[in-house]
Amino acid sequence: MKLEINNISKSYGSVNVLENINILSDKKECIGIIGPNGAGKSTLFKIISGIIKQDNGLVEFNNKNINNYSVEQRSRLGISQSFQKNSLFLEMSVKESLMLASSHKYKISFNLFKPLITNNFIIKNAIKIAKDIGLEDYLEVKSEFLAYGLQRQLELGIAIASSPKLLLLDEPTAGMSPAETKDIIKLIKKLSKDYSIIIVEHDMEVIYNLANNIYVLDRGKLVFEGSPSAVKKSKLVQKIYLGI
Amino acid sequence: MRAVNYNPKLRLQIMVILVSLLVIFNIFGGYFTRFFIAEIAILSIFAISLDFIASRGGMVSLGHAMFLGIGAYSTAILSINYGIPPFYSTFLSIIIGLLIALFIGYFIVLLDGIFFIMVTLALGEMFHAWVFTSELLGGSDGIPGIMRPSLTFIGFDLNEPLVFSFYSIFWLIIAYYFIAKITDAPLGRNLDAIRQNTSRVSAIGGYTKAYKAIAFSISAGIASLAGSLYVQLNGFISPELTHWTVSGEGLIMIIVGGIGSVSGAILGASVVHIIQHELSNIISWWMFIIGFGFILVVLFMQDGLWGLIERIKKKFG
Repeated sequence: MKLEINNISKSYGSVNVLENINILSDKKECIGIIGPNGAGKSTLFKIISGIIKQDNGLVEFNNKNINNYSVEQRSRLGISQSFQKNSLFLEMSVKESLMLASSHKYKISFNLFKPLITNNFIIKNAIKIAKDIGLEDYLEVKSEFLAYGLQRQLELGIAIASSPKLLLLDEPTAGMSPAETKDIIKLIKKLSKDYSIIIVEHDMEVIYNLANNIYVLDRGKLVFEGSPSAVKKSKLVQKIYLGI
Repeated sequence: MRAVNYNPKLRLQIMVILVSLLVIFNIFGGYFTRFFIAEIAILSIFAISLDFIASRGGMVSLGHAMFLGIGAYSTAILSINYGIPPFYSTFLSIIIGLLIALFIGYFIVLLDGIFFIMVTLALGEMFHAWVFTSELLGGSDGIPGIMRPSLTFIGFDLNEPLVFSFYSIFWLIIAYYFIAKITDAPLGRNLDAIRQNTSRVSAIGGYTKAYKAIAFSISAGIASLAGSLYVQLNGFISPELTHWTVSGEGLIMIIVGGIGSVSGAILGASVVHIIQHELSNIISWWMFIIGFGFILVVLFMQDGLWGLIERIKKKFG
């Protein structure tokens, strides 16, 4: 997997949200993108996932220019994402949500007549993912009836159901209690063994726990890049976050 | 918009009961009852087509009567002007409706909520206005003299009310089976997911536009089938069939029956049509009662009669 972000810029009117951002990831790793509110993290996330388009610059995935690729097309290339706010199929059970999420990977989504629930390989895949994300006891429970923390876990499960090459996680611990945050960190750590991950997060502790490499954004500019320990020691980062 | 609980077993049970009732009333009823049964079967096919796109894909159409009209007028023109036997005209009408919808769907299926509703309304009204003034289609007088299919070679005379009602019920079963199958298949489940959360289906690599365009097209094909059967039942077609209020009535039927249940659409079509008929015989302000009843359903029973049956079933095991 290789993701290359070259000189990405984005502005809304006269406000520059991102300026000449460069990021390179060419191995299985967990990249953290941090920054205070308004730093441009979410905008960068949306540009990588294809939700919005940059004004300038290039996004390349496995040496392919994907600037004009939609969210759907990027997903089919292997870029999967989870959202900051839960984005689930609330009327579907955990099992069906996971089955549906992998139906595209197995290229059966256009099937008109064979019931989805009779595809054994998809059922097996859904059960395996449910185990991976700790929801094996909730397979038949409708998503809308899951507790918030479990919904966040399902959010991740849907993102990995298609066996992506790159997993984009937008504030995966948003709105979670400390105990739930601990659980989700554990889960993402487990997933990072199998997937390349980019996490956008404002909670430094979460990023320190998960990322191998951290990019720090401030007011649309990339101001620091380094390992968690280097970021911890950086006076610049402390100034940005703590104002000291 | 929510659909009723996904429950294929209950869907089949209700379908079997409804079809059994239609068959029984058809066998033991008189001339008028048989005509009425055929009407219910045809309206049910139309309701199924509307229910499919509303619940699988979240596309609420106020212009679906256009496809009813396309099916009806195609059958009339093909059999009268081109001498194609009515039985084959039905198949050709379905294909015509399907293809026109595929073309229209390419441009409109990604429109959200109110925009989709208004565009389908506009398309339906444009079609109605064209039909109303078209010399080819008989203008406001419509087209009379449409024949029923001839199946005498297998011993069925469709001019017999009993036989034509069975013929309509047969098509209803086919339409039900076809839509129920698609509903359970990956395409149908993806369409259901699109209604619930379109952006998430995109994010997992779904072909959102293609799924919706296919659904819209299939639904239009089934509405065209209903239109074709309608003209064969009545022997004539008038522009009134393509008015947007016909689509509105179809939507009332699926809401009363329970959106997304397939057999609920048949239940809704049956109940609404029977009430309409019975009330109009008793009082002149029957539309007021229908409207009031509809408001009550929307306020207190959003999962319609399907939901009511589900609750009763739960209570009594």
